[in-house]
Amino acid sequence: MRDAAAAPVQCYFEEVEVDVPLVTPGMTLTRAHVALFTGITGEIPSDPDLVPSLLPLSLSSGLGWRVPRPPLAVLAFMGFEWRFLLPIRVGDTIHSVSRTLTKRTMRDGGVIIEERKIVNQRDETVQAGKLTLLVARRPAA
Amino acid sequence: MARPTVLSYGPVSEHPGIFFEDLAVGQEFASPGRTVTEADIVIFAGLSGDYNVLHTDAEHMKSSIFGERIAHGLLGLSIEQGLASRGEPVAAHGLLVSLKWKFKGPIKIGDTIHVRSRIAALKDGPDARTGVVTVERELVNQVGEVVQEGETQHAVERRVS
Repeated sequence: MRDAAAAPVQCYFEEVEVDVPLVTPGMTLTRAHVALFTGITGEIPSDPDLVPSLLPLSLSSGLGWRVPRPPLAVLAFMGFEWRFLLPIRVGDTIHSVSRTLTKRTMRDGGVIIEERKIVNQRDETVQAGKLTLLVARRPAA
Repeated sequence: MARPTVLSYGPVSEHPGIFFEDLAVGQEFASPGRTVTEADIVIFAGLSGDYNVLHTDAEHMKSSIFGERIAHGLLGLSIEQGLASRGEPVAAHGLLVSLKWKFKGPIKIGDTIHVRSRIAALKDGPDARTGVVTVERELVNQVGEVVQEGETQHAVERRVS
């Protein structure tokens, strides 16, 4: 019997494909999402049906685990640039579309730049930007 | 390092509304502090669905460079926005338009963070009723390390003359 947890199945730097779009499943935003999120952040919403700006991006990181690829072996989220284009309201259904723009090998892994957009049920891009991630190399067998 | 003066511990609703004309380049603000707990990280993992071992597996993280679980970067940023809205009128009343952000160091369970911010630029908005405010922000921990930093842009209403 194993005495350690299984190593997580992950997508390592070597396996990241440039320019291949990954589309996530959708998620309908509810007042429960808004209440839980504002409960964590301490922001007091001016309108209970207005989705806080950073909630869709936070959800997109989890939605990104539900694409036909194992979760990326992220060692560190280094930074990002992001634009908030249209308001998002409770009842809207969002999904995210991302693709890797560039890969650069580093000593401890590799840096990827990912383009990501968040799209609503009317196919409008509501938020978009570029994320910089440090990703682990596949460990030696 | 001395903590800057905190302008308000009260809820956002206690702030008077602000207008673009009330703001000046160089104005500085500081938020209250907040201790990041294990519960914050567990709830954020559950809400976001981001269960990366960095945030969820204490045993795995013992052998990492951090030695323990760390907060999601976006959790730190989300808390930053909540804290800022309690100490700074732009974050409380403006509409977030864009941001550029760097995650510089880990936030660990038990760390206490606060926000320092400074108005960096004031520009005309897309229409006559709004201005765009650029705010430089630092998220600072209890030993004075800047763990996150960046710049946010907010649309702020102009006073109708």
